[in-house]
Amino acid sequence: MALIVDNLAIHGSEGVLLRPASFTLQPGRPLVLLGETGSGKSLLAQAVMGVLPPGLTATGRIVLDGQNLLAMAPRARRALWGRRIAMLPQEPWAALDPSMRAAAQVEEVDRLVHRRSAAEARQRSAARLDRLGLAGAGRRYPFQLSGGMNQRVALAATEAAGAGLLIADEPTKGLDAALRDTAGALLRAEAEAGRMLLVITHDVALARLLGGDALVMLAGAVIEAGPLPGLLAAPRHDYTRRLIAAEPARWPRWTPRPAGRPIVEAAGLRKRLGGQELFGGLDLGIAEGQVTAIAGRSGGGKTSLGNLLLGLLRPDAGSVRRAGWVAPFGLQKLYQDPLAGFAPQQRLGHGLQELQRRHGLDAAAAQRLLPRLKLAPALLARRPAEVSGGELQRFGLLRALLLAPALLFADEATSRLDPLTQQEIMALLGESVAERNMALLVVTHETALAEAVAGQVIRLGGGERAMA
Amino acid sequence: MIRLRKKRLLGAGLLAAVAGFALLGPLHGIDPLRQDLSAALQPPGAAHPLGTDHLGRDLLARLAAGARLSFGFALLAALVSAGTGTLLGLLAALRGGWAERLLLGLADAVQALPALLLVVLVTAFAPGEFLPLYLGVALALWVDFFRIARNTAASVLARPQVEAARLLGFGPGHLLRRHLWPEVAPLVATLFAFAAGTAVTTVAALAFIGVGARPPVPEWGSMMTELLPYYAEAPLALLLPALLIFLTVLGLHLLAGRERG
Amino acid sequence: MGGLIRALGGRAVQALLVALLVGAACFLMVRLLPGDMAYRIAASRLGYDLVDSQAAEAVRQELGLDRPWPLQLAAWFAGLARLDLGVSLASGEAVATALSIQLGHTLLLSAAALLLSLLIGPPLGALAGLRAGGWWDGTLLALSAALRAVPGFVIGVGLMLWLAVAWDWLPAGGVGGWREVILPALTLALGLAAASSRVARDAVAGVVAAPFFGFARMKGLSDAAAFRRHGLRNAAIPVVAYLGLQLVMLIEGVVVVESLFAWPGIGHALVHAVLGRDIPMIQGTALVMGLLFVALNALTDLACWLLDPRRRAA
Repeated sequence: MALIVDNLAIHGSEGVLLRPASFTLQPGRPLVLLGETGSGKSLLAQAVMGVLPPGLTATGRIVLDGQNLLAMAPRARRALWGRRIAMLPQEPWAALDPSMRAAAQVEEVDRLVHRRSAAEARQRSAARLDRLGLAGAGRRYPFQLSGGMNQRVALAATEAAGAGLLIADEPTKGLDAALRDTAGALLRAEAEAGRMLLVITHDVALARLLGGDALVMLAGAVIEAGPLPGLLAAPRHDYTRRLIAAEPARWPRWTPRPAGRPIVEAAGLRKRLGGQELFGGLDLGIAEGQVTAIAGRSGGGKTSLGNLLLGLLRPDAGSVRRAGWVAPFGLQKLYQDPLAGFAPQQRLGHGLQELQRRHGLDAAAAQRLLPRLKLAPALLARRPAEVSGGELQRFGLLRALLLAPALLFADEATSRLDPLTQQEIMALLGESVAERNMALLVVTHETALAEAVAGQVIRLGGGERAMA
Repeated sequence: MIRLRKKRLLGAGLLAAVAGFALLGPLHGIDPLRQDLSAALQPPGAAHPLGTDHLGRDLLARLAAGARLSFGFALLAALVSAGTGTLLGLLAALRGGWAERLLLGLADAVQALPALLLVVLVTAFAPGEFLPLYLGVALALWVDFFRIARNTAASVLARPQVEAARLLGFGPGHLLRRHLWPEVAPLVATLFAFAAGTAVTTVAALAFIGVGARPPVPEWGSMMTELLPYYAEAPLALLLPALLIFLTVLGLHLLAGRERG
Repeated sequence: MGGLIRALGGRAVQALLVALLVGAACFLMVRLLPGDMAYRIAASRLGYDLVDSQAAEAVRQELGLDRPWPLQLAAWFAGLARLDLGVSLASGEAVATALSIQLGHTLLLSAAALLLSLLIGPPLGALAGLRAGGWWDGTLLALSAALRAVPGFVIGVGLMLWLAVAWDWLPAGGVGGWREVILPALTLALGLAAASSRVARDAVAGVVAAPFFGFARMKGLSDAAAFRRHGLRNAAIPVVAYLGLQLVMLIEGVVVVESLFAWPGIGHALVHAVLGRDIPMIQGTALVMGLLFVALNALTDLACWLLDPRRRAA
């Protein structure tokens, strides 16, 4: 039993999307495809599964247990799904039927694919869910389960199908660090149970967790291959080195600056959401030059706390006081989705002009900032959707900096960006803090990032407050 | 994109054709009300390019007058209801509070009854007259504009882009111009075309069942009622008003571009 | 459960609004009618030849038309609350009696129309949605766009002349056996199906493209099994929810189509009453139509609630 990929290339109408790649996948030893968005790693997985988008063609050979998949008719390849090849969905909460109970979605595999009796199917699926720690969750609907639980339900359904080859495409997308570790452990258990496991990810930490072999991909080509964790310990290719260095855990720590005048002071803050208390009795102060991070699991109220401090939200109890010296527009914000902060129809340059007119700003200030933030002047003629996420986030920073803010709130501002871009944006934020002595408030689900940048870390959602 | 533009062009073309036909009437120069019983139910000919009806009235003149009536009515009803509804919708979303609740309640009250039932109820005050008909249609139509403007504006106002604009120091004028209007305007434009189509069909349907415009007013729906008994002798005379209604409404729907949602 | 109770509570408020709106409009109508109302009512009962001021005075006493208007309005709504709908000015028959017969006809026609439209629209739309972008999708789009540009009464006239007059397959109007209901029901159903086929098409196309449908296939389910297990219910949710909007079209269509085919239902009676200035009858028919609309909407709410677990949980 093995999957042999031999000189697999993918072509589109605009040319080669994946340059010839070869590898062999054995049961019990995971293979990780590591790379950023657009590197071609997902295309490779789609070619193995046989779900390439229309218009794309694959050449070379994909041999599963002695059969060349690329030579098979689509119908014959389709018949392999579930039984021989299975693919774990990217976002499990979207991949489960919203109108069907969790257990039924596992049971139906035994009943309809393996033709087992209803009673037997029910028994087997209950046992599977139990083993994955989902006892009692089977009666619930996907929207009543957490993201991690949905992922395990999807895994149970895939296991039930019994395929020898399991492909997981970005299995940790949208999961915070704790859930990522759980998902990684579950996947490794699948490999240890004797399956072939192919994992596609941009997450170096997940690769380290899984072990096995890794292929590093960049711009449609495999640039480096080797066993884990050796490849990560001694990368040969410059890109791999940068990718690893971009992990927040490896960032050099920012040097704390002496705290200046206070900007906002919060006392006894409490916020509830949907009948649950997010936090209560919280005291917190932010002063000039300080970097503060709010960390914790998703849904723990991190963004709400930031918005309370900016005065965008009212607390259920307690008070937020803004110091008298802070200018009316002295608190600014960067958003998780860079696009969300802009009017979609307006050209960036036009928006900038309106901002300058509104506050009587000198146009030269923006001209000086553009090169500092590595923004080409040509971008000003484009609309928000026509520039990259990293560029737009830098433009958002430029817009905020023009108003000389006392405090900048970066709300998961880098979580949707590729690791290298994330590192770059955070570095620019650090420079701005140092040059302007402004305060920075970072909301993040990555503990490592919070610890690298902040002098003051607040953990929400179960964890205690820690002062570094 | 290209298909959408083609659809809109086709719609505009159809409407232009019907509008051109409407202008043929005055050029043709025959009074749409003049009867000539000796020339009843004539086929198309030199004197009457589209023939005559059962009272010998010129069909071209009557159909063209019907087009002017339908167009004028639909345009006026859609303009007034679009203006009122959009304005109130934006106001409700921006102001919030009791003003929004009051307007939403009013909208609920108007839509408690199906629109046509409401129009019939209003026309019952003076069957056959135009003012109640017009009031009824505008009363039923403004709610759609109100809802679409209010809901769209409310959802845009809840977006981070608006929060960002406020943080940057921009006021309501800027929000309206840069954030609300670009989202609301295309929807209102689409709805406008549908509303005009609804106005055309409503006027025709009510006239057809005798509640709206009445003979001898040259209205497409009432012309069909009058000519229905003569379907065998003059099928064309019955077909033409139906065809004109179809082309006008189709033109408006195509002009709207996307589906009504 | 809370979601359903809130929805049904909203429908109850809507029913109340309908009653207030219709009642107030009809009261206003009485007040605004030109000439002496009592005389006109007496005339409508006895004929213009036999009416005199004495008969008019009797009517004035009977209806309390000599009292100040706030009292009259209160009396009017009190009557409504007692479900006392009064007597038809045209026939002298109790409005409630007439309505009970007409309601049966209207319900039969509406049910037949809805059933026919559901047999035509959603299946054709689903076929198009399964192969979105295919030839049938394009054909159906053009067909439904054309059909939606034709007002119901034009469809009705066309069907009547074609199926009843030219081919003599079906009766052109009236009421009796099952054959009479076909033409008006088909007229209504075609208009409804033109719209519901598009909704079904979009719903099915959306479900087929949804990640959960893809995952069902990747689990190893055959296409047919995946559609049966995961496609049907999820596609049905928006189609059923859209039924609520379709009811507006249905009720509006009933008013026009009943008149065209002389179908003795409530819509027909309403139009007659409007033409004859029979205000108690206008009020009764408009009220029942409006309440029918609300009741059908409440049924739709219930169906959505049963179909969609997300609503049940909310």
